[in-house]
Amino acid sequence: MTDAIVVEGLVREFKGGIRAVDGIDLHVRAGEVYGFLGPNGAGKSTTVRMLTTLLRPTAGKASVAGFDVATEAGSVRRSIGVALQDAAIDPFMTGRELLRLQATLHAIPRADGHARAEVLLDRVGLTDAADRRVGTYSGGMRRRLDLALALVHEPVVLFLDEPTTGLDPTSRVALWEEVRRLNRESGTTVFLTTQYLEEADQLAGRIGIIDGGKIVAEGTPAELKNNIGDATLMITPTDPSRIADAAAVLQQFGPAADGKPGAAAIRLSEGAEGIAAVVRALDHAAISTAAIDLHQPTLDDVFVVTTGHRLEGDASAAPGSGRGRKGRRE
Amino acid sequence: MTPAIVQTAALARRSIFATFRFPQAWFPSLFFPLVLMAIFTASFGRSIGFIPGFPHVDGFLSFAVTGAIVQGVLISSVGAGAFFAGDIEGGFFDRLVSSPTSRSAILLSRLCASVVLAGGQAIFFLLIALIFGATIQGGIVGALIVVVLAALLAIPMAGLGIFLALRTGSAEAVQGMFPLFFALMFFSSTFFPRETMTGWFQVAADINPISHLVEGMREQIISGVNWQQAAVSFGIIAVLAAIAVGACALSFRRRLGGDA
Amino acid sequence: MSASTFSRTASVSGMLAWRALILVRRMPAVFIPSLVMPLFILVATSGAFHGISAVPIGTSSYLAFTLPFATIMGAGFAGINAGMTLARDIEGGFVDRLIASPAPRLSLVAGPLTAAAMRSVFTTTVVLVAGLIGQLALPGILGTVMIYIMAASFAMATACWSMGVALRARTVQAAPMMQLVVFILVFTSVAYAPRDLQTGWLRTVSDWNPVTRILEFSRTAEFQSMSWTGFWGAIISIAVLMGIFGAFALYGLSRLGND
Repeated sequence: MTDAIVVEGLVREFKGGIRAVDGIDLHVRAGEVYGFLGPNGAGKSTTVRMLTTLLRPTAGKASVAGFDVATEAGSVRRSIGVALQDAAIDPFMTGRELLRLQATLHAIPRADGHARAEVLLDRVGLTDAADRRVGTYSGGMRRRLDLALALVHEPVVLFLDEPTTGLDPTSRVALWEEVRRLNRESGTTVFLTTQYLEEADQLAGRIGIIDGGKIVAEGTPAELKNNIGDATLMITPTDPSRIADAAAVLQQFGPAADGKPGAAAIRLSEGAEGIAAVVRALDHAAISTAAIDLHQPTLDDVFVVTTGHRLEGDASAAPGSGRGRKGRRE
Repeated sequence: MTPAIVQTAALARRSIFATFRFPQAWFPSLFFPLVLMAIFTASFGRSIGFIPGFPHVDGFLSFAVTGAIVQGVLISSVGAGAFFAGDIEGGFFDRLVSSPTSRSAILLSRLCASVVLAGGQAIFFLLIALIFGATIQGGIVGALIVVVLAALLAIPMAGLGIFLALRTGSAEAVQGMFPLFFALMFFSSTFFPRETMTGWFQVAADINPISHLVEGMREQIISGVNWQQAAVSFGIIAVLAAIAVGACALSFRRRLGGDA
Repeated sequence: MSASTFSRTASVSGMLAWRALILVRRMPAVFIPSLVMPLFILVATSGAFHGISAVPIGTSSYLAFTLPFATIMGAGFAGINAGMTLARDIEGGFVDRLIASPAPRLSLVAGPLTAAAMRSVFTTTVVLVAGLIGQLALPGILGTVMIYIMAASFAMATACWSMGVALRARTVQAAPMMQLVVFILVFTSVAYAPRDLQTGWLRTVSDWNPVTRILEFSRTAEFQSMSWTGFWGAIISIAVLMGIFGAFALYGLSRLGND
């Protein structure tokens, strides 16, 4: 398989010497959905802008669909579809007009462009709204139109920059479904940036975590989660006085871990399959349980471990402040 | 001093300093009237002797400086309205209203600041005109009358700006009204004497109170001190000020939810 | 530029011009001023300075004298609007969409330029009709055509300037900068009085101001007293304006994506 996107040592420096992107390497395989995960200001959008020829790199090389973004920008632009952050959509034009305009931008002959517009409107469910001004669309409709616009010329590589930021959960799930279908049916490579862990987890085959302009971790969601450790199993005995007994039984299955008060906890090296054996052992020791909690590592945990701070809703936690998994679970 | 006066003075000082801090707040009000005055003077200076009905003046600049002053007050008053609207948009207004600051101090301070700035503007324009060869027939007294009237003119004009700010709550909307006021000035004798106009345009200028206001000020410069004309200008300003301040007070109350 | 690049640029530019015209029609805040401003200039200027009619200005009607000033200012507004639309498109991200597509970049400037020229046809018509209502004589076919051509040329020149500003500043807040230069250019030409009557600094400035020749030729077109000297003077002035402003716009275009 060939690589749809190859990035080597890519750097973008802005005025004042700020390095928004600080030497990143990436390989995105053809037909893959690659999730680029990071908080605001991590360098996601700057990377996308360089890969989509909107911004010239300060240093390093990048090629998309086999073309160099700096020297073969024209060929790159013919191969890519781009849906940028904040859906750059004209509120005074109708959805159909915008699709036809986009077809002209890609030099699609008029009749073909019109036909393609209808197909895409139908595909993203906007046929009924096609003649309404985009200003009257809901956030979800705009994103779907934005997606349709990016698909007008059937691109080889699709860039989605924070496609669901600010959307309600229903619209978000609908858009995910559309992206999945596109990848499945047309084999389009998708490069997706997001600040939502769930989005990356749901959509991406592989994930790169970017923080402070550098890639701090990369792999499939499963690999990333496995790398940071095992699931935690927590047993709450019905009789609080038997907590020590419970802990003793658990010790046979893995090293002790921190749990809630009134509960015994271990790291379960065998994963979820190990639970049955634990339950049988507890039964054998005649310890009745009030609650069994299994905590699988999430991408959130991955993020915390790799960057030292949380992704969402915790901007105040400075990098390297030492907040680990335990801190997060309190 | 009573608290209301202290508050008014403090807020007025804030408005004046804010004006100086942002060049975009004072630059247009000095620059555009000057440019127009210069262009009109260089365009029409040679012609006025041949125009029937044009009053006797020693140069077009002496005639035009009053127009520049009034135009300057207009531009900075619209700016004052936009600034007030900015306070509403930015939440400073709410902070003031929810503090024990007296309501009239909020309004008065802005008007006082505009009065001070307008007086300064008038002196600036008169000095520039004098440097470039204009004469003031009314001498120091005439010049003082013009400066005082210009300063007072800021009350109705800034009042109008604040009224619009209170009604719309948007700086952009207040700025958007500027062309309308500018048009009103053109349909008057601000830039050229009414005596040289014809037809419906002359009728419009005759009706337009701005004509009589400007003429009362201009008389002091091109003919000499004329208390009667000054009184006409003052009367017009007083009536307009009463209307504008009344409208401000009403919409202030409305913005605060009816019966404050 | 190869034939195919040219046709691609032309088709995308046409589409963008069409879009610009649609937006004008759908945005009352843009449409109404573009209609009202030239009319206001015509009525207010000719009305306020009616007295100048008594002075030798080449016509006995200051309204007739003002008409080309209004058509040229209307064209200037059309040009400024091209810059404001582009600035809004840069802010809103529409320009990103265009740059990320294989569409020729030149069309980003060429489209609005075409739209500005087309809008000037509209504003000029409005002013000419107002002149007719004000009982001005018809300038004849050739004269009318020349008035339109002068307006369209000035619209394109000011569009280049405004788009150049938009490409540098990348925000609609730069609109006063676009307006200021256009206003000063027109006002310091022969907007209010012919050169013979101007004095001092204004006479010197208007002698050098390219807009002077454009306005003067528009006036001779209106009064059906055109000369080849006047024509070439206007054409050279347009070329000078287009050269300077066009280079400014193209430089801005080439810098897009650099910083």
